[in-house]
Amino acid sequence: MNPILQEVLRCPRAASARTAELFEATQQAIFQHTDRLFARLMLWQWLAAVAAAIFIAPLTWSGTQSQLHVHVLAAVFLGGLITALPVFLAITQPRTVMTRHVVAIGQMLMSALLIHLTGGRIETHFHVFGSLAILAFYRDWRVLMSASLVVVVDHLLRGILWPQSVYGVTTAPVWRSLEHGWWVVFEVTFLIVSIRKSLGETLNIAERQAELEAVNAGIERKVNERTAELTREVAERRQAEENLKQSEAQLAKAQRIASLGSWEWDILQDKILWSEETRRLYGFTAEDHGSEIARCIDRVHPDDRQSVHDALATSAQSGQPYSCDHRVILPDGTIRIMRGIGEVLLDASGKPVKIIGTTQDITKTKIAEEALRQSEEQLRQSQKMEAVGRLAGGVAHDFNNLLTVINGYCAMSMQQMEAHSPLRRNAEEILKAAERAASLTSQLLAFSRKQVLQPKVLNLNEVIGSMEKMLRRLIGEDIELSAVREAGLGHIKADPGQIEQVILNMAVNARDAMPRGGKLILRTSNVSLDLKTSFRSNRSLDVGDYVMLAISDTGVGMTEEVKAHLFEPFFTTKGVGRGTGLGLATCYGIVRQSNGDIGVYSEVNSGTTFKIYLPRADAPASTGTRAPDANVLPNGTESVLIVEDEPAVRTLSASVLRKCGYQVHEACDAVDALGKIQELPLDIVITDVVMPRMSGKELYDHLKATLPDMKVLFMSGYTDDALAHHGVLAPDMAFLEKPFSPARLARKVREVLDGAMGAHPLRSVTDDERFQSTVAEGPLENANLPQ
Amino acid sequence: MKPGWILICVLWLVAAGTGAWMVANYDNTPSGSGETPQQWPVASQVDFQRNQPVLVMFAHRECPCTRASIGELNRLMVQCGGKVAAHVVFVEYDDLPKDGTQSALWKSAAGISGVQVRRDPGGQEARRFGAESSGYVVLYDSKGQLLFNGGITSARGHAGDNAGENAIVALLSGRETPLAQTPVFGCGLWDQTELAAKQP
Repeated sequence: MNPILQEVLRCPRAASARTAELFEATQQAIFQHTDRLFARLMLWQWLAAVAAAIFIAPLTWSGTQSQLHVHVLAAVFLGGLITALPVFLAITQPRTVMTRHVVAIGQMLMSALLIHLTGGRIETHFHVFGSLAILAFYRDWRVLMSASLVVVVDHLLRGILWPQSVYGVTTAPVWRSLEHGWWVVFEVTFLIVSIRKSLGETLNIAERQAELEAVNAGIERKVNERTAELTREVAERRQAEENLKQSEAQLAKAQRIASLGSWEWDILQDKILWSEETRRLYGFTAEDHGSEIARCIDRVHPDDRQSVHDALATSAQSGQPYSCDHRVILPDGTIRIMRGIGEVLLDASGKPVKIIGTTQDITKTKIAEEALRQSEEQLRQSQKMEAVGRLAGGVAHDFNNLLTVINGYCAMSMQQMEAHSPLRRNAEEILKAAERAASLTSQLLAFSRKQVLQPKVLNLNEVIGSMEKMLRRLIGEDIELSAVREAGLGHIKADPGQIEQVILNMAVNARDAMPRGGKLILRTSNVSLDLKTSFRSNRSLDVGDYVMLAISDTGVGMTEEVKAHLFEPFFTTKGVGRGTGLGLATCYGIVRQSNGDIGVYSEVNSGTTFKIYLPRADAPASTGTRAPDANVLPNGTESVLIVEDEPAVRTLSASVLRKCGYQVHEACDAVDALGKIQELPLDIVITDVVMPRMSGKELYDHLKATLPDMKVLFMSGYTDDALAHHGVLAPDMAFLEKPFSPARLARKVREVLDGAMGAHPLRSVTDDERFQSTVAEGPLENANLPQ
Repeated sequence: MKPGWILICVLWLVAAGTGAWMVANYDNTPSGSGETPQQWPVASQVDFQRNQPVLVMFAHRECPCTRASIGELNRLMVQCGGKVAAHVVFVEYDDLPKDGTQSALWKSAAGISGVQVRRDPGGQEARRFGAESSGYVVLYDSKGQLLFNGGITSARGHAGDNAGENAIVALLSGRETPLAQTPVFGCGLWDQTELAAKQP
């Protein structure tokens, strides 16, 4: 520890290291400051001494002779010597003990010199006391001791050597020197006291400074800690704000994706705040933020405003949750369907103050629901049609077998009758009834889409052209028929007989809708359905190119209710006995089975237009050949195997073919047939399709594997998809639909044997036959055919 | 502290002490003095009143040391004013053309109450009283008997109490004093060549 500080700290208090450091620093600063002070002071003293010597005693005289005074030399050289070392040390080695003591000694020597130079003036002696006072600036009592020692030694030596120069007498006791030094001691004593007091104050200042620094350090540490905390808090707050922004952005994005906006209605202030998505959903601009509820309701569809208003009012009064679906009219005129739900916030008294809720655009959902409802309706309809189809199929199978037998034997009986036999008319009536029953069975299969189709590429204009003559006779003279056929009309792929059936049914309905005459217009055109038109027409058609046949009349038209049930089987507006209710259902079934659709446009008392859409086919149209109209049955000698589980039909068919010269063999089912096929040399196998134990198709597959050249003719009244996929028969299959006449059987067998079955339609009818059957909704086959 | 510095400090202290000793020795080395007549010289032009003692100080008008002697004379006259007729005689030299009455010492001396200042062309009065150094004082009683001769400063140009002054005061006060002669500290009144010629 600093020795001066140790002296100051005689009391038991202990200085802290920082206090000692500050005390030391203060002392060093004082030392340096005082060193520099004396460096300047001593230089000035030296110059002053030289000046004083020159002024007071520049020359010494001896008569008229003079020379430089010794005092001047002493001032210059001795003064310079005395001054040099202290000044040098003060400048080069400040703050050192040696410097301080050399300065003190030098200063006292300079005092002595000055006293000498001024002739011992008493005033100059004050230089000693002044020097001591200035030396006290060091606040180091040892310095004063050195200075005092110089004074005492000076007086002692001079008192001994030149007593008269000090005491004015030639002899003086030693105590006289002490008398002179006493005043120095007197001053030095007080200076030491002053120095001690000053050092104490310095120590106090150092202690306070140390305490202040400690406090400042504590404050600074606190500030740093707090600053760090604030920085961390700011960073955390910024992170939180960033997270909040991201969360808000995610929420906004989620709302946008879900088309779900949020809102908050202040009931008391009638202010509504909404999210960006809500604003967008209602078509408001950014400037509309915070509009009144009335402005929001203005965007609601006029028909829904009251319900929205009532729902909000009810919630605002009762506190019950708000829920209301409503339509909104956007500024561009678009109508969207919104679902608003909300919860009511109550104040402490239970009074509703706010409603916080969401609004979701449910337009797509509503459309999907409507589509689902329609799909469900279609499913129900399909299920109903399936049930009817199953019923029809079940009936058709057995019923067509019966009709085949009735038709066959009736026809064979008529062949054996005389031309004018009274029984012939009875037989003809039986044959007509049987054929009408067959037609009814065929329609049942048609509308339930269970009949077998043999599609061909057709030109609808040619079909219409071929039917025009028949149609004119059908609709009568009161109705004007016109056909507008578009040039370059595309082809379609459909069963030509079925398409003709559709046109005939439509024409009959048009005729019935115009009891007082009118116009019937057939118009064909190419159309293309895109997404937009497909959506608007709400049809179950794929996008693509179609051929459209529009059948328009100027009849009584239909109500919406009638239109809703138009294609349902057994639905008819005609009187009892006039219609079966199967005509349009049949048409619809045929068209749908052909991958088409029918559109209806009707106004009461203005007329009706049916638009039949059928997919366009790029293939060239087929050139069909009608079956010969001759009544002569084709003959043959080939070996024929008839596979039929119904004995009556089998027997009839065998009988017909034997009469035509064929070698006929019979099998009661497919399993029985397999054995006979191995044993007999056969040219053709005629097989039923639906049979117990093994179906006709399985027999066909077996024959294809074992006897690939064997010709096969299927005959069936209902195949149950055993042969055809969705009712469409493969082109390489020969098929004879039950009920058939003996003539059709004979011709079909001949065609297959001759290898022309692929070029012939399965059913060959004349215009007259179709006319007859359509008018009566009876069998398509002409009872007058093969006799 | 490095020994080298200690040595330097010691050498410095010795050098300074030696210088101080040399200066002090110079200041305390008395100047020369001649033979002073025991009876007031009859030929002297200085007024001699028979009713009181007469004090005469001889001075070189340019001597810086004499400033202290004049100062002591002033103090002496303050103490003994009216008891002695005091004269300050300034030796005038032909080689010093400057008017002696305009010197600082002349004016100082002239300013002392009870002191008469006069010129001593060629130094005749000084020689008459055996004065060789400036500041040399002689005191004769009213009967013309020499009472004291010497300097009234303790060292060269050094003011303050001194034995000469104390002796004069005592003599003028009628007290016995064993000290009738003191050394004088001042510039020489005569050229070195003249002083050398006087040397036996």
